[in-house]
Amino acid sequence: MNREKVVFSFFMILALTLNFGFYAGEVDNPNHHNVYELFAVIVVNLIATVLKFGDRSQMGAMLLATSLVALVQLFSASLVWAYVVNIQGSTMTPDTMSTIISLSGGAMIANFISVILLIIETSMMRH
Amino acid sequence: MSLVTSLIMRQMRIPIIILIIGYAISVLGMVIAPGIDDQGNPWRMSFFDAFYFVSFTATTIGFGEIPYTFSNAQRTWALITVYITVVAWFYSLGKIISLVQDPLFREALKESQFKQQLARIPDTFILICGFGETGHALAKALTEQNIHTVIIDENKDIIQTLPLEDFSLVIPGYKGDARDPEQLIQAGLQDKKCAAVIAVTASDETNLKIAVTSKLLHPDICVVCRSELEEFESNMFSFGTDFVINPFETFANIFSMAMHSPSLHLLYDWLTGVPNTDLTNPIYVKKGHWIICGFGRFGFDLYKQLLKSNVQVTIIDPSIKKRDAFLTLPENKGNDFIIGTGFDERTLTVAGISDAVGLISGTDNDSNNLSIIMTARELNPDLFIVARHNKKSNEKLFAATHANLVMQPNEIIARKIRTLLVSPLMIAFLNKARNQAPSWANITISRIMGALGESLPCIWTLHVNDKEARALCQVLRLGRVIRVENILQNPRQKENQIAAVPLILKRNQKLLLMPTNDIAIKSGDQILFCGTPSALRSMLWSQNDLHSLNYIMTYEDTPDSFIWRKIHQFLKRKERRHRPRQKRHLMK
Repeated sequence: MNREKVVFSFFMILALTLNFGFYAGEVDNPNHHNVYELFAVIVVNLIATVLKFGDRSQMGAMLLATSLVALVQLFSASLVWAYVVNIQGSTMTPDTMSTIISLSGGAMIANFISVILLIIETSMMRH
Repeated sequence: MSLVTSLIMRQMRIPIIILIIGYAISVLGMVIAPGIDDQGNPWRMSFFDAFYFVSFTATTIGFGEIPYTFSNAQRTWALITVYITVVAWFYSLGKIISLVQDPLFREALKESQFKQQLARIPDTFILICGFGETGHALAKALTEQNIHTVIIDENKDIIQTLPLEDFSLVIPGYKGDARDPEQLIQAGLQDKKCAAVIAVTASDETNLKIAVTSKLLHPDICVVCRSELEEFESNMFSFGTDFVINPFETFANIFSMAMHSPSLHLLYDWLTGVPNTDLTNPIYVKKGHWIICGFGRFGFDLYKQLLKSNVQVTIIDPSIKKRDAFLTLPENKGNDFIIGTGFDERTLTVAGISDAVGLISGTDNDSNNLSIIMTARELNPDLFIVARHNKKSNEKLFAATHANLVMQPNEIIARKIRTLLVSPLMIAFLNKARNQAPSWANITISRIMGALGESLPCIWTLHVNDKEARALCQVLRLGRVIRVENILQNPRQKENQIAAVPLILKRNQKLLLMPTNDIAIKSGDQILFCGTPSALRSMLWSQNDLHSLNYIMTYEDTPDSFIWRKIHQFLKRKERRHRPRQKRHLMK
């Protein structure tokens, strides 16, 4: 058992499940999407990314790339949120909500690919 | 990803994760904690506000309670935030600092620095194994000729002080054992830019190992080896080492050159010496009775040379075994072998010091050599003295003895390798010069002295090809004839010639000694010149710059820009229009 891989798998899958939880629901309905969940996705995804720092294997580099993609998507989603609510000072509209949700949907695909890569890597291990 | 970044990233994983978790807990807490806004309504921070607050608190900037004055619940959490995040930051910073001090990390950093320096070398480099006195002298000479070098040496101190030394090019240094093929590869042996390997460590065995490794791993490389023992020498040649340099044999050859033709020896000394040092004086080796103290490798090689010129030789050495071996050989008849050390008056007197013309003090111990020289000088002040100088630290002592010839192994090897690598044509020149009449060397010396003056010349080779003589080739392709005298013209003042003398011309494997001024240069020629540094710079201008070349060919300063060219053409046409009229007038 490789503890490093187990810890990473935990954070990666947690990122995917949280991401799904945030994404599920009507696209333009702010009541279906919880801001705490977005916060949790970002934190867990950050940790998963940092866990792949300094990994010189090909698979490690791929996983770093996909989780960086997810992070970029999630950061832009949270920036949109912060801009509309805190800088413009308006309330959350269905328009903005759908933008945020589609961005987080992109992040979910990236996280999904990470998990698939993880499964491939695990199944390739001989022992 | 390079090893260094990978190491940093790997080490930074835990500190960064701790920071992320610390921030996450703090932000979440600030969002949850109930507060009151300025109108007294219940209010909670947004994630934006919370992240803002935590960011300036964690970095100890502390703007205060923003946007509204905190409630007690918020203040409680702010306290916790301070302790979590500030401690997390200190931990991370400590981790970074300890990483920088980690010896493993430092080694990785140095290795990557070396690789970067290696990658930055533009053309080719020469790998010098062993940075002792020879290696140092070589590196200095090669970098002065703009040839890049790379050093590998076992000694950590030497590699560390390398950047502090005053070389004209950056010399990448690699700390490693040159006997280990893996480390030689790390030092750049298999690099495409590696043109030659020079093995000049103190041990013949190490040099042999380096030569084998280099020839096996990079077969088309030039390998130059230092060797003092004959069995290693033949071994090195057996697998194709390009040059094996034995300091004793080399010195014996120089000695014999000085004996047969002082002017040829002087020519050799000038042309292979360090440029811009003072000109040396000729040495006159007398023929007559010679005494050799110490019959080791050095004494034996010199003895062979003395034997060739039919002079009487007396040998002094403490080894009885050597005497017995000496006396059995028939060619040694007529020469004495005395058992003794040579630094006592009695032995020297028995050897006939009073009527000897020369003395060779050739033991491998510097104190003995010095003592022999001092004693012998007292007994016979007119002696011609050849001293073997083993340790560099005794340099001042040997200079004080005023010995006529001093053999310094490191200096001799460095000189020979420098000649081999910097100007390979010089070897051909010296070989040809050896077959000329003695008067030839005298004429050449006076020519060089007339052109150059007081200090030793620079040596350079003019390669007539598109890479090194662009303008020259361009003009030759147009069918113009360029002679040696043209290229010796100064591109700044047409009346003057540059202070340079052509030594040898190589064309299609044929060699021409001292090419005369009227010889036309052809594409593909190689010409060896000696001259002053300013002459070298002038020649670089005329061989690469079309304008300068045009000037030395026509003595005309033609303009380069479009408008001036048109004006120039116009003026010329006008001139031409005038000239025929004048002629016609004259004819009438």
